[in-house]
Amino acid sequence: MSSIRNVAVVAFIVVLGGATAFAASLSFAGGSLGMASTSTPRCTNAGLGQIQNLSGSNVVSVTVSNLPAACGNATLQVSLNNTSTSSGGSATVPAAGGSVTVTLGTPVAMATTEEIDLVLTGP
Amino acid sequence: MSISSGRLALVVAVVIGALAAQVGLIAGLNLASQGLTPYRTCVLTATPAATTSVIDASVRQGSATSNFGTATTNNVATGSAQNRRLYIRFDLSLCTPAIPATATVRLATLRMYATGLPASCRTVDAFSVTANWTEAGITWNNQPFGTAINNPASGSASNSFTIGTPAGCQNLTNNAYIVGAIMTADVAAFVAGTATNFGWMLRDDVEGSTSTITSTFSAKNLGTASQAPQLVVTYVNVP
Repeated sequence: MSSIRNVAVVAFIVVLGGATAFAASLSFAGGSLGMASTSTPRCTNAGLGQIQNLSGSNVVSVTVSNLPAACGNATLQVSLNNTSTSSGGSATVPAAGGSVTVTLGTPVAMATTEEIDLVLTGP
Repeated sequence: MSISSGRLALVVAVVIGALAAQVGLIAGLNLASQGLTPYRTCVLTATPAATTSVIDASVRQGSATSNFGTATTNNVATGSAQNRRLYIRFDLSLCTPAIPATATVRLATLRMYATGLPASCRTVDAFSVTANWTEAGITWNNQPFGTAINNPASGSASNSFTIGTPAGCQNLTNNAYIVGAIMTADVAAFVAGTATNFGWMLRDDVEGSTSTITSTFSAKNLGTASQAPQLVVTYVNVP
């Protein structure tokens, strides 16, 4: 019987610890969880203008505009894919927002269809 | 004394459940705390000249039965029996990856390279086309919007921009892509499936002027990538 009691006590403590940790982080993490699905804290929801800058027929950089000041100092990562080749780069958004040009690691041939992924991290 | 296997299984299940809950909370915390702002953009470009994913053609009132689908320039013009309209369509289904019907379109910009600006500042209206047309077949006489000038009414335009050399005009720099042709609402409807994508028709806001006034844009058939018509669609999958 003592063995059963010991196991039960240990299990109770472990579970209680988990529950305590759960409760301790619930108010903070619960809010974060909600934001992750409906209102993840972003610096902007605006439409961002994008212009591909060419050298010949190759895209060498992408200029992203319409960045609000709320995105100032954020890191902007750009990835461009022309369905056969991809390249990327990153740059820091000016403190006042505006526009920023991200140079691609390697030029990508301009094609009929291209995908550009933008991710602003921070500020 | 040994613990029964049933009780042991119950204890293990409860402990695992508690741990899983904690892991889930941590995962949620990391995602939200990074402050990510992801956008995806589909860029459709009328290149190479032989592509069929973009079709463009001008129609000319002065050559009402002729097709200009292979011309290297497109025009928008107002004049006495010399009006010209520009039709253009981008095949959004070619976006790779496909834009989900549930996506939120944040910005859709029609970009055309201007090579000839009028001396007066003109307003150009862009209308969502409501019937099919082909690049090789469209003429002034069979265009979807008919031959009546100033039709449809300017008030039903999806958007407008101004072009011309006078100061204050929105597009006053020659040999540059125009700005201001924002077609977000139309593209959102195309993506959502609430409207069919037959492209756009661009015409002068006031057709039928006494003197002919023309804006010129590079066409797909020019075959110059740096001047090719483009549609840039930025969207998010989560509002």
